[in-house]
Amino acid sequence: MATPDIETPATAAGTRAGTGTVFTRFIGLATIVGMVALGVFGLLLSPADVQQSDSVRILYIHVGTVWVAYVAFAFTALASAAYLWKRTTSLAWDRFAGASAEIGVLFMALTLLAGSLWGRLSWGKFWVWDARVTSTAFMFVTYVGYLAVRGLGGSHHQRARRSAVVALLAVLEIPLVHFSVKLWRGLHQDSSVADRTNVNLHGLMLFSLFISVIAFTLLYVWLMMHRQRVLAMQDAIDNTGLDYALQQRRDEGDL
Amino acid sequence: MEDLGFILATYIVTFGSVAAFAFAIVRRGRRLAAQLPAKDKPWT
Repeated sequence: MATPDIETPATAAGTRAGTGTVFTRFIGLATIVGMVALGVFGLLLSPADVQQSDSVRILYIHVGTVWVAYVAFAFTALASAAYLWKRTTSLAWDRFAGASAEIGVLFMALTLLAGSLWGRLSWGKFWVWDARVTSTAFMFVTYVGYLAVRGLGGSHHQRARRSAVVALLAVLEIPLVHFSVKLWRGLHQDSSVADRTNVNLHGLMLFSLFISVIAFTLLYVWLMMHRQRVLAMQDAIDNTGLDYALQQRRDEGDL
Repeated sequence: MEDLGFILATYIVTFGSVAAFAFAIVRRGRRLAAQLPAKDKPWT
């Protein structure tokens, strides 16, 4: 006997599906494979460096995480600009910016941590007031501030406007951080792979770095898809709550 | 391998932090999805 197709709160809500889809599962699986490969190549197969010895293995994490942080902050700025531009304005861009900034902050924190441990082995100190290190820490604090601005309250569009302005200012720090090793002479080494004609890594070391960048990029894509959907659902629940409160006030007025 | 403690700490903290963040997002997504109708979840 066929079951009547009655919509109950549980079926309407769709309790089974979260933020995952076939595509996110595919990206998730590829990310896990990439991370396992990074662990195998970074810890076991890659040789020790002539100058840095085994501490070079920390750089496979450090470079991959800072790459994702740069990409995340750049996309935060692009999405913020798309929100502020009248032709493309949409809260979806704001959520994209917010999700990307959160992920960027996490990866920037991991960059600083890995850099600190590497610095202890290479420079003898966990922290030095080098131009690159200091400007990176400053950028991290700026984006923590960006996330704080997002949480200040107000309507979704108020949140989007003020945080978009902050994001467009904060992104100016990326070139400052990246070129700080050239602008000010400090302890931090220059890029290992500056461009195609200036590659200081070879063989398995270069391949391990390549795997790191690919794996962390896949991770960024996976996290972005899930985090954006969570933010979209949070906004939808906020709107539902607002509609409910407005209806209650109208009902009170009718009494 | 030299400095094994520092190297392992870097990998464990990085992978552990990322896994914890990913787990928190997925769990929050499932919790919120249970409160919303399908029209608010266009990806499903």
